[in-house]
Amino acid sequence: MGLVALEGVGKVFRGRTGSWEAVRDFTLSLEEGEFFCLLGTSGCGKTTVLNMLAGFEAPTSGRILLDGKPVTRPGADRGVVFQGHDSLYDWLTALDNIGFGLRLRGVRRTERRATAERFLQMVGLNGQGAKHPSELSGGMKQRIQIARALANDPRILLMDEPFGALDAMTRAVLQAELSRIWAETRKTVLFITHDIEEACALATRVGVMKRGPGGTLKAVVPVDLPFPRERTSDGFMRVFREVHALIHEEIHGGH
Amino acid sequence: MATSRAATVAGYVIGFALLFAIWHFAALYLVRSALFPSPLPVFERAWMLIEDQILQDQIVASMRRILQGFFLGSAIGIPVGLAIGSFRPVRMLLEPWTEFFRFIPAVAMITVAVIWFGIGEESKIFLIAYATVFVVVISTAAGVGAVGKDKIRAAQCLGASRFQVFALVALPATVPYILTGMRVAMANAFVTIVAAELVASNDGLGKMLWDARLFMQIEDIFVALIALGLLGFLTDRVFRLLIRAFAGRFNPTM
Repeated sequence: MGLVALEGVGKVFRGRTGSWEAVRDFTLSLEEGEFFCLLGTSGCGKTTVLNMLAGFEAPTSGRILLDGKPVTRPGADRGVVFQGHDSLYDWLTALDNIGFGLRLRGVRRTERRATAERFLQMVGLNGQGAKHPSELSGGMKQRIQIARALANDPRILLMDEPFGALDAMTRAVLQAELSRIWAETRKTVLFITHDIEEACALATRVGVMKRGPGGTLKAVVPVDLPFPRERTSDGFMRVFREVHALIHEEIHGGH
Repeated sequence: MATSRAATVAGYVIGFALLFAIWHFAALYLVRSALFPSPLPVFERAWMLIEDQILQDQIVASMRRILQGFFLGSAIGIPVGLAIGSFRPVRMLLEPWTEFFRFIPAVAMITVAVIWFGIGEESKIFLIAYATVFVVVISTAAGVGAVGKDKIRAAQCLGASRFQVFALVALPATVPYILTGMRVAMANAFVTIVAAELVASNDGLGKMLWDARLFMQIEDIFVALIALGLLGFLTDRVFRLLIRAFAGRFNPTM
């Protein structure tokens, strides 16, 4: 049995204008230490899957287990990196943002700073710890978010299109950094994206979703390529084409 | 940064100088009435009142009332605003109150205040607190409501309890709104104190205005008006500095 199990999970949103089925019968098991990219077109329900696993939203059917225990609400065992950087605390320095989870648990200040300093270094922001989020670039803010989630040592890292709002150059740099950090920590990651290349570059497995409404898992493609990934290699191209074909059907009809 | 600060100061100095120049010009060449004195006699009169300790006493009397009422009103308004912003039942229960009372201006409450508390300090402090409290409640509650969803979610998945989310996320994120509300409330307090002292008081700048009208001391009226303007200007400066110190880096647009 895996670290995380989603069993027949579904989500229907009910509003004044009617109901919307975001996710239908979604089943997936995540193994300890893997990097799973969940790939899908916009509106396919991939973010809803992450929100349910994070505990922000409750599924309307099925169940979600972490270490065999049902997920009912957000908790420190699931670290989340959000797409936008509004989640950082503007009144705290970069270092205090990273140490925020430790502060919540009552870890002493000196120990907290030492740990935060270590993760600041891990995300490549040496010497930037005293700055406030408003003084940092978009890419730096996402690095702080990653460091903040990792410093709390969660069982799994949930990343919701964390590089979606960045320019192409910064995105490529951060993808490489994330790969390196994952190799260092071997943290289990669920990474949401709509970028095929990004998924193929980062993942050990890519899950492709059917388009919405009622999005569900269509296929899982294992990516047995060594890290760091060489994006122009034959192996990479082969995986890219396979995933691309699966996504292509979702964009251009063909159920 | 240094040049922009110097430019700001120079702007204020020149701006004020221009204001007095226009006043001087208007009094000497346009209006030419005993009822509209030029700046010089007004400044002379102000200097006399300062030498006799009279102006200082009036300023201290008014400012003490403003600050006491203002801090009392804020001390009530901030927790009530936080409660309204945080808990739906409290909001539903108290919103009619704030929506009702904020349309009864503090000046309209002067009559009741005097009947209840007499013409002593209590009635003035009550009125200033009344003028302060609703503005602070509304902006504090709005601030709590404006805390980003991801900020709260991030804290939850870092392991924050409900209390920690409130104390370590919602509260600091609301500070800029609280300070902005207090700044607006301070302007209300100035309006209210003058009106209250005009009607019923033994001292203060409002009383000074009223007496000067009775005895046709036109220069005294202008001295009181300028004192009010300068005091308001200075307190607002202090608030802007506070907002910048505590909240400027929270929100670069402020």
